[in-house]
Amino acid sequence: MERIIAGFVAELRKSGIRVSPGESLDAVQALGLAGMEGRRSSRQLLRLTLVKNVNDIATFNEVFNRYFSRFTFVDQDLNLPELLDAALIDMEGEFNYLNQTQGDDHDQGGPLLKLDSDINPEDLQELKSLTEIDPDDSDGNEIVVQMKGFRGKAKNAPRPTRRYTRNPLTIELNKGDSTPMGLTFTPEEQMVMQDVVSRMMLRLRKDMKRMHNNQNRGKLHVIKTIQKNYRHDMIPFQVALRRKRREKPRLVVLCDVSFSVSHASRFMLLLLHTLHNQMLDVRSFIFNREVAEITDMLANMPVNDLMAAIDKGDIVDLDENSSFGQVFLAFKKRYLENLRGRPAFIILGDARNNYDEANDWVLDEIREKSRYMLWLTPEERDTWKRGDCLMDVYGAYCDKVEVVKTVEDLGLVVEDLLRDIYADHAHPIDKKRLQEAKAAEEYDSKDYYTRGTSGAGEPAFDPAGRSQW
Amino acid sequence: MITEQGVKEFLHSGGYIADDAIATAVFLALRMEKPILIEGPPGVGKTGLAKALSTALDFPLVRLQCYEGIDEGKALYDWEYGKQLLYTQLLRTQLDTYLSVSADLREAVERLSAEESLFFSKNFLVQRPILRSFLSEKRSLLLIDEIDRSDDEFEALLLECLSEFQVSIPELGVIEAKRKPLTILTSNGTRMISDALRRRCLYLYIGYPELEREVEIVRVKFPEICDDLARQMVAFLRKARELNLRKPPSVSETLDWAQVLSILKATRLTSEIVANTVGVIAKHQTDLLKVTELAVQELG
Repeated sequence: MERIIAGFVAELRKSGIRVSPGESLDAVQALGLAGMEGRRSSRQLLRLTLVKNVNDIATFNEVFNRYFSRFTFVDQDLNLPELLDAALIDMEGEFNYLNQTQGDDHDQGGPLLKLDSDINPEDLQELKSLTEIDPDDSDGNEIVVQMKGFRGKAKNAPRPTRRYTRNPLTIELNKGDSTPMGLTFTPEEQMVMQDVVSRMMLRLRKDMKRMHNNQNRGKLHVIKTIQKNYRHDMIPFQVALRRKRREKPRLVVLCDVSFSVSHASRFMLLLLHTLHNQMLDVRSFIFNREVAEITDMLANMPVNDLMAAIDKGDIVDLDENSSFGQVFLAFKKRYLENLRGRPAFIILGDARNNYDEANDWVLDEIREKSRYMLWLTPEERDTWKRGDCLMDVYGAYCDKVEVVKTVEDLGLVVEDLLRDIYADHAHPIDKKRLQEAKAAEEYDSKDYYTRGTSGAGEPAFDPAGRSQW
Repeated sequence: MITEQGVKEFLHSGGYIADDAIATAVFLALRMEKPILIEGPPGVGKTGLAKALSTALDFPLVRLQCYEGIDEGKALYDWEYGKQLLYTQLLRTQLDTYLSVSADLREAVERLSAEESLFFSKNFLVQRPILRSFLSEKRSLLLIDEIDRSDDEFEALLLECLSEFQVSIPELGVIEAKRKPLTILTSNGTRMISDALRRRCLYLYIGYPELEREVEIVRVKFPEICDDLARQMVAFLRKARELNLRKPPSVSETLDWAQVLSILKATRLTSEIVANTVGVIAKHQTDLLKVTELAVQELG
C-alpha cells in the first residue's frame, strides 16, 4: 500500500499540489486505521490527509481518477468499490487476477498504473527514508512559478504595425472576428499575479508592522499607566501610551494605457489596488489623449471587466495618438486642485508625445503638490532624446526616473517606493535607522550613467518574449 | 472501537447532521490524534461541529477565539504578577530572617536565587485556553476559532502546540499534555493560513450542504416544520445562493428562517411570506431586493 501511496503522491506533486513526506505518512496511517471500504471513502481519506487547500481539491480529484483508473473495467466514472478494495488490499495478486479476467484489455487507452515497472528498489528506499525525515523540517515540493508576462497569449500583443492596421476600414472588416479583444487575464495569470502580490505583501509587512507600531506610539499616558499598574503596586510593569492618529500614505498613479505600454499599466493598476486599503490610499488615473479616473471602478468592478472596458476604449479613446502635454493640462484643470495631502506620484509611460506641445510647466506644479515623483518608462536611456520622446524634458522634473522592462522590475520598483513612502511617514527613531541603512548602501556614481543604458550584453530582440513590453 | 458510522450516529445525537467527509475527518482526528483544520463559508456549521462533538463525546469544550494581536499571554499562559508581588510582600519578614543568616551580600544573593523557582512555579501560572485544555484531567475539545483573524506570529506559536501537544515555558521547561485534546481549528479563509500549519492538520472543507442533508438538518432542529415546507425553503435558499449575493444565505440563515416560519406557523412558502421575512435571509440592501425578486419569480 505504501508503494501505491508514494506513487500517487508523486503524481500529485507532478500536478503541482505540494505534499510533504509527513502528509504521505499520515495518509498511509489513515488508510490503515479506517480501512479501504470503497473508492469514495478512500478518496475522502486521501483528500483529508493530502490536500490542504480548497483550490487543490479539483486537481486532486482529477489525479485520483486518472491514477486509479486502471482498476475500472468499463467506464472511468463507474463506481466499482469492490474492485478497488481488492486491488488495494492485495496488489500483486489482484494484478494477476485482473490480467487473467480481462486478458484482451491490454490496449486500453489512458495512463495506466504499472506497478512493477514503475516502482524500482530506489523508490522503495526513498519511501523508507521518509520515516527518518522529520516531517516538520521539510517544506514539501516547492513549485517554481516562472514569471513570463501577465497578459493573455500573444494573440493581441501590442505591435507597432497595429497603428497602421487599425484604421476604420479594417476595424469594420474584422468585426466578425470572435473576441477580437480577448485580452483579459486568464485565471493562471491572475493566480501568478496574486502570488507576486502576496509575496511582496509579506516582505513589506514585516518591515512596516514595526513602523506602524512606533508610528502609533505617542507620549506616556499617565492616568492609564497608573490604572493599568494598580494591581502591581503602582510599579509600572505595563506602560500605556497615547495613540496618534495615523494617516495612510497617499499615492496617485497616472498610467498610460496606449498599446506601447499596456502590459505594464494593467499590472501596475492591479498591483496598487491590491495594496490599496491595506496600506495605501491610491487614486488611479488612466490616459491616452484624455485622462480619466478609475479609482472607484477598480474598487467595484471585477478586474477582467474593467480591463476589457479599457481595452475596448470605453473609458479613454485608444485610437487617438497619446499626448502627454494635453493629459497633464487636463489633469491639472480637473484633478490637481482637489488632491488632498501631499501624495506621491507615479507616472507610467514612454513620454512619446507625438510632437504635441510638451506643457512641461504643469509637471512643475504637480511637483510642488507632491512629496515624491517617480516616472517609470520602458524605454532605454539611449532613446530618450530620439524622435518624439520627451523623457529628458519631463525627467528633469521628477525625483527619479526608472527604466522598468519586466514585470518583476516593476514589482521591485513599487516595493522600493512603498518603503520610501513609509519611511517618510515613520517615527523619528525608525527614520534615523532607515536613513542610516540607506546611506550604508553602496552607491556607485558611475552606475548612474550606465544604469538603464543597454550595455554590451544587450539581449536580442525576441518578439515572443512576453515579459518584454 | 469507534467507526465512521458510529461517529455519524453520535453526532446525530448531538444534533449535528454530518456527511461522509465530516464523519471521516472526525473519526481520523480521534484515532490519529491530529487537529482538524476546517475551512468554509461562514455559517455552515464549523463551530457548530465542535460544539456538537463536545456534547456528544462529553469532552469539555475549551474555546479560544482568535483576533488580531492575540499572543501567548492570551492563548497559552501568563504569569500572575499581582500574586507574585503580593507573596513577596507577605513573605518579607520571613525573607529577612531567612537572609539574615548569610554572612555577606554574595551569600544572600546565592541563597535567594536558590529559592527563585518558588516564584516561577505553577502556583503563579495563569492557564490560558490552550494550556488549560492540555492540563485537563479529562480529554477535552480545544476549539481554536477563526484562526485566520490572528497574525502570522500567533500561527507560528501554535505549531509547537499542535504537532507535539506541548507548551514550552522558559521558566518551567516543557509541559506536555496530560490527555491530547481533540483539536479543531476553523477558518473563514479571509487570510491564507501558512502551509506549515496546514501540514500539521487534517484538512476539511465544509461547503453548503446537499439538499437532502439540509432538509434533514432543518427537520432535526425544528421538528414542527413539515417535510414539504422544509424542502420548499431549502430549495428556495439553494436558488438564492446562486444569485451572486454579497452575503449568500448559509445554513445558519436556513435555521433562523425555519425558526421564524415555525413561529409564524407557516405551512407553505409564498412570495408574501418571503417578502415579510426576507431580513432573516439577506443581510444587505441589494441582497434584499434580489431575494424578493426571486421569490416573486419562483413562488408567484
